Amino acid sequence: MSVDVVVNESDLAELVEQVWVSYLDPEGVSPLVPTCDANQPSEVHSSVSITGSWTGHVVYASSAAAARRAAAAFLAVEPDEVSQEDLSDVLGELANIVGGNVKAMLPPGATLSLPQVILAPESTTRYPNAERISGLYGRWEGEPISISMWQSRQDVKKEETV
Amino acid sequence: MKILIADDSRVMRQIVTRTLRQAGFGDHDLVEAADGRETLDRAMSEKPDLVICDWNMPEMTGVDVLRQLRASGNDVKFGFVTSESNPEMQQQAEAAGATFFIIKPFTAERFDEVFSPILG
Repeated sequence: MSVDVVVNESDLAELVEQVWVSYLDPEGVSPLVPTCDANQPSEVHSSVSITGSWTGHVVYASSAAAARRAAAAFLAVEPDEVSQEDLSDVLGELANIVGGNVKAMLPPGATLSLPQVILAPESTTRYPNAERISGLYGRWEGEPISISMWQSRQDVKKEETV
Repeated sequence: MKILIADDSRVMRQIVTRTLRQAGFGDHDLVEAADGRETLDRAMSEKPDLVICDWNMPEMTGVDVLRQLRASGNDVKFGFVTSESNPEMQQQAEAAGATFFIIKPFTAERFDEVFSPILG
């Protein structure tokens, strides 16, 4: 049964490329290399919720090393100079940037929440009544990173009955 | 000139600061605010020449800050740096009196394009 995905993998890939070019890989030497592995492990994650014309969550997940490296790139410092607070802040901002840009692709009338950051694997968070509808899975300098979209089952059901 | 940078993410405030420097605007006096309420208070008390503001912040959204400033007669140059953008938001920003709208992620080139006419 297919669901009409409002924001698909190639849209997510385009967003991710912008984030990499702007903040994580301005020199263009360390892109996110796709793995297409939806089950790759994570150690930390962050998310924003969208409600309205589309309802669900946008989730950024990675290894702790990738999060530290991302924070170092954002702050222009060495990875060992990154504090736990920096790491959380950057994870939240990554979810916010990706979620905000996802929201821009949705029909008008959607609201974005403030980000939530969990310093534990993505599997520790449950999104009741939502299912993962698309995702981008890759490795950055060997470390796993994923961005996925979870759509409210009510929204999914609506689309299935159309 | 004095510039107020408002974003609830400390990292993003640092990135805005760094990008201003990269775009050649590093010599200005920079002050910061970490939520909507603080942005409104500092925009009044610090009397900045320019406010670079996030949209989605705790306490008060950026556009509400701008509306309150304008309602109180404050006409500081004010614009948004936000991950969210759609025509509806841009119209709201413009109607409230915003001068610019920059979408995250942004580059130093984008800052140069937007801020050169304002900061010289």
